[in-house]
Amino acid sequence: MDFESKYEISSTVDFIRGRTFTRVALQFPDELLKDSPLVAKALRSELGKAVRLYVMADAAYGSCCVDEIGASHVDAECVVHYGHACMSRTSTLPAKFVFGKASIDVKDCAKSLSHCLSSFNKPIMVLYGLEYAHALVNLKAEVAESLLSSHSNSSLKISYAEVVGTVIYPSVDHLTEKAQVSSQYDSLTKTRITVGGDEREIKSGTYYGLGGLSWNIPTGHKIEDYLLFWIGPENTAFTNIMLTFNNCKIIRYDADKKCLLEHLSNQTRILRRRYYLVEKAKDANIVGILVGTLGVAGYLHIIEQMKELIKSAGKKSYTLVMGRPNPAKLANFPECDIFVSVSCAQTALLDSKDFLAPVITPFEAVLAFTRGRQWTGEYVVNFQDLIASIGSEVNEGTEEARFSFIKGGYVEDIKPQENDKEEEGSLALAAATDKALSLQNQDPTSILFKRNATSGTMFFAARTYQGLNMQYENPAPQSYVIGRSGRAAGYLDEERKAEDLPGAVE
Amino acid sequence: MVKFTAEELRKIMDLKHNIRNMSVIAHVDHGKSTLTDSLVAAAGIIAQEVAGDVRMTDTRQDEAERGITIKSTGISLYYEMSDESLKNFKGERVGNEYLINLIDSPGHVDFSSEVTAALRITDGALVVVDCVEGVCVQTETVLRQALGERIRPVLTVNKMDRCFLELQVDGEEAYQTFQRVIENANVIMATYEDPLLGDVQVYPDKGTVAFSAGLHGWAFTLTNFAKMYAAKFGVDESKMMERLWGENYFDPATKKWSTKSTGSATCKRGFVQFCYEPIKQIINTCMNDQKDKLWPMLQKLGVVMKSDEKDLMGKALMKRVMQTWLPASSALLEMMIFHLPSPAKAQRYRVENLYEGPLDDMYANAIRNCDPDGPLMLYVSKMIPASDKGRFFAFGRVFSGRVCTGLKVRIMGPNYVPGQKKDLYVKSVQRTVIWMGKKQESVEDVPCGNTVAMVGLDQFITKNATLTNEKEVDAHPIRAMKFSVSPVVRVAVQCKVASDLPKLVEGLKRLAKSDPMVVCTIEESGEHIVAGAGELHLEICLKDLQEDFMGGAEIIVSDPVVSFRETVLEKSCRTVMSKSPNKHNRLYMEARPLEDGLAEAIDDGRIGPRDDPKVRSKILSEEFGWDKDLAKKIWCFGPETTGPNMVVDMCKGVQYLNEIKDSVVAGFQWASKEGALAEENMRAICFEVCDVVLHADAIHRGGGQIIPTARRVIYASQLTAKPRLLEPVYLVEIQAPEQALGGIYGVLNQKRGHVFEEMQRPGTPLYNIKAYLPVIESFGFSSTLRAATSGQAFPQCVFDHWDMMSSDPLEPGSQAGQLVSDIRKRKGLKEQMTPLPEYEDKL
Repeated sequence: MDFESKYEISSTVDFIRGRTFTRVALQFPDELLKDSPLVAKALRSELGKAVRLYVMADAAYGSCCVDEIGASHVDAECVVHYGHACMSRTSTLPAKFVFGKASIDVKDCAKSLSHCLSSFNKPIMVLYGLEYAHALVNLKAEVAESLLSSHSNSSLKISYAEVVGTVIYPSVDHLTEKAQVSSQYDSLTKTRITVGGDEREIKSGTYYGLGGLSWNIPTGHKIEDYLLFWIGPENTAFTNIMLTFNNCKIIRYDADKKCLLEHLSNQTRILRRRYYLVEKAKDANIVGILVGTLGVAGYLHIIEQMKELIKSAGKKSYTLVMGRPNPAKLANFPECDIFVSVSCAQTALLDSKDFLAPVITPFEAVLAFTRGRQWTGEYVVNFQDLIASIGSEVNEGTEEARFSFIKGGYVEDIKPQENDKEEEGSLALAAATDKALSLQNQDPTSILFKRNATSGTMFFAARTYQGLNMQYENPAPQSYVIGRSGRAAGYLDEERKAEDLPGAVE
Repeated sequence: MVKFTAEELRKIMDLKHNIRNMSVIAHVDHGKSTLTDSLVAAAGIIAQEVAGDVRMTDTRQDEAERGITIKSTGISLYYEMSDESLKNFKGERVGNEYLINLIDSPGHVDFSSEVTAALRITDGALVVVDCVEGVCVQTETVLRQALGERIRPVLTVNKMDRCFLELQVDGEEAYQTFQRVIENANVIMATYEDPLLGDVQVYPDKGTVAFSAGLHGWAFTLTNFAKMYAAKFGVDESKMMERLWGENYFDPATKKWSTKSTGSATCKRGFVQFCYEPIKQIINTCMNDQKDKLWPMLQKLGVVMKSDEKDLMGKALMKRVMQTWLPASSALLEMMIFHLPSPAKAQRYRVENLYEGPLDDMYANAIRNCDPDGPLMLYVSKMIPASDKGRFFAFGRVFSGRVCTGLKVRIMGPNYVPGQKKDLYVKSVQRTVIWMGKKQESVEDVPCGNTVAMVGLDQFITKNATLTNEKEVDAHPIRAMKFSVSPVVRVAVQCKVASDLPKLVEGLKRLAKSDPMVVCTIEESGEHIVAGAGELHLEICLKDLQEDFMGGAEIIVSDPVVSFRETVLEKSCRTVMSKSPNKHNRLYMEARPLEDGLAEAIDDGRIGPRDDPKVRSKILSEEFGWDKDLAKKIWCFGPETTGPNMVVDMCKGVQYLNEIKDSVVAGFQWASKEGALAEENMRAICFEVCDVVLHADAIHRGGGQIIPTARRVIYASQLTAKPRLLEPVYLVEIQAPEQALGGIYGVLNQKRGHVFEEMQRPGTPLYNIKAYLPVIESFGFSSTLRAATSGQAFPQCVFDHWDMMSSDPLEPGSQAGQLVSDIRKRKGLKEQMTPLPEYEDKL
């Protein structure tokens, strides 16, 4: 395919020129990095010397998110993001997205689509990977033509989701009312940027948006009535669609293999697995919060909320910043029973058999750590949508002990309030003596390997090896000595020697 | 039936010497429930206001349909002894009124957890044995369980009516049969020598054996007859008893006793002469309607019949006459009162079995003395569904103190550890309840020695718990029950309509409570699993789940799932090595099978992580041929830190090894829980750490580097040591007549089972067959067997051992290979096993 059009050089140039950016970061995913010199060259030849371009690669988190930290290292004013994107809102920099153009056989796709329409007898909503957005116009025309020619009944409709735009501006403050924010966007850009999974009533019906796509469902219809037709590979964007609309029938058209695939068993399997992880999280004592993004708007807010949530559930949380998680990194924290990954919607779903402890999403954390809350089938992949809903949850006053399906019986949760509240009356003394001294007869192996630790210190104390021996034989402080100074290439005391030596490197 | 008000009943509950808590145990179909019914009919306590004839053992519908007992049911009986019959009673007593709390338990092996729960709260057991079938496998199992709990047994030889009516055996033959039954029972009991419990064997001439016909409602002990004849012969009652059993013969012609048969036709054994023959005579006379002969005989025996009963004919007449002459209730109840211990007596020796804490603290003493004024010690043995939907009564036994309505109690769950707050709740008892027949009556309090049901604790107790007073923070819990069966058969359940999930969750929670054995968990794949002791058990549980606990919401039940184990056949063919993610650390390991019997020793807790290393090394070196030094180098057991696999350190002179021990152990716990073949638990594998190369900087050999590497190297060593699957195997006992044997063998062969013992029961046409049967083949086994033998064979299956499957799971297409790929598919894993090179690294 034509290089110019694949990388949308002209529209990118318009974007940069139109807002007179002078320092622009170009972010490439690994698989497109090889094209980056050509893209930079093409852009530079259009923009001239006035605009400085920086190529960024190997993002610390998912390559689908805009790497704002990386961009701010070069003081960039905006980011041009190439390749697959999750379209999460940015917090400081405006971003332009170039999705690339994947090849697709429009005719074949249209044929499959009309085949679906006739065989399932349901209205169809067409969703697609952003890299196929370029073919949408052609597809619409092709389908319309084939429908006309086949004289099929016109009561069933095919609707198409739209790409919400290729430019994202940072949100002013994600906590300001959404309406205000969106109207602001409207006036600014004429395209509305929406958040994934967002659902609100507008004039014509229900509005949905997920992963950079948006669509409307007319009033009186439910999304469950539609057949979702996904064009694209089986990637995290598709998984998100599957999880969010787990009540809908979903059919995937694989553009490379030109075939239709149903993923029903896969869908229920993933949902069940997530359900298991939620049950597992309920039993956790120590939770690690993985900071999986430093750019997606509102990440600090959700981290704070997670901390509070975990604390109110009587568990201990530790916040960990480790870039992209891998088994080795996670296993450095064997005390954590479960990890909550705060990241963009498409990198949050991490499930690998290689992780020592499972990783769940903030939504699952809310399910697991809010007492009395049960999973009703809904699924939220984007944490921004959670922010509003968490606070409104009232802790139900059910007295029943929690039933753990992992252990198959009632388990007692540590209640944080109990520790704060002084027990009154007749039991005060008994309670005090209870606290004063207790026999430490718990088996260290059960703390280490059966997830019985309630805090990092308890886990540490149980370890057989605790690092270098901290108990000095002589507790008196030692007198200090003056250390070396200078650089490692040659300390100050070494330099003098170097001067003495003839032929030393100058 | 005895009509009582709650207050009257409550009054007797204070007399701890006049209470007998006992369970009825037996093999399936030996007539426990029928016998119990006849006791209840005579002495069952019902509420005063309940008019008319209310059946007490009104069982579940499915129980009636199948003709078996599923849940154990408790019934209180009241019996007033006459002064005369109590004159020989040596024990302590207050007055002549006795309260007998009787628990009828199921006989089918699948429900033996119910028996365990019943035994815990009783002190004595009435062992019922069919006089024709004799001591069967389940009789033996429950008897062993009872003795393990220090429950004193008495025996009744049941279904006597079969001797007289069906088999028409003569006296001497019948005596031999009874003698054999009693001997067989005594053989089992003799193995439990317990100085505190004393001699637990049963002897007819001591009155600890009764002869009963539950169906006809009559029974006798030799005491009954001894009383009758003692006056006639002018000898002492106890002397007479001795003569009525064993090698004592009487010749009415010479009117002389001898210890050997004189050979004369009239010389008969005492038992035959004075017990068996008279009964036979009466029964025959009744059956033949020879009423002219009958009335004088009855008059001689002092049996008075009512006038309307005199019109009865045949069997009905016989039943009535026998019931009046030898009422089952008085014979059996007197035997229990005389020979089974009161709570006060039993708790003196049972405290050692019951209490986990030090045996000299105040709680142990209170239990020992059955002290109603001591601290409360109460064991909740099971949860009983209440009529109020979704709620449960906590049912248990008060061992000391008293429990009353409104009392704040400390609930110590099964995972409670003294001194910690884990699994501990303080809650109020909303109501204390006792049963009077089917009706529950609230009472103010219940003192020690009695059983009680409590309302308001069900949201904190899953199955069992120990309750004590709120302030008794030093109390240790009462020891958890040990079950003889384990939940090996599992099914996955899911709801048909996704939105019913909360109902399913709630239902499973209730199901877990309602049965002592069932386990409700969730799989890694997110499927809800219900595990039970056997096919029948599971069937009943699932029925309860759907109908009672989920309000009829539809569920989908998967085919039964059997869990396997992964093991190795040989030592690894080479030392395997894996590198850490940063390539700076290398672990070298080998796997080898554990010695025969060692895995079982770990299962039984003879060897475990908390042993004294010296003791452990002694057992390992003496019994399993380990090197003494090596035995000290066991790093850990796993999975779950107690499982039957281990890691042994074989390294020499490795620096920093102590640093990575925790990480290797963590990797091992993880890997041994999910083996390399199909992510099933490992079993009987010993992993030897051969060598370790570590980076010099601590930061590069942290947990993150070592834990995943340890897991990989363990998998690699498992795969190089000829990995094999272990499948669970049932021990099947079948009792059937000779003509059914062909069918039994046919079915067993078809199901990969093999018979290892076939024995004819002496004196019967019945054969006893013992066989091993893979659990995976056992589904539908009962029904196939019944079909193949036209209903004459009834199998009892108990999990016995793990059996290695000989085929190589690494070879695609082999039986084990097929199984592995099936399991992986079910678990949603990649169908292909991860190949060895993924785990093993090259230098």
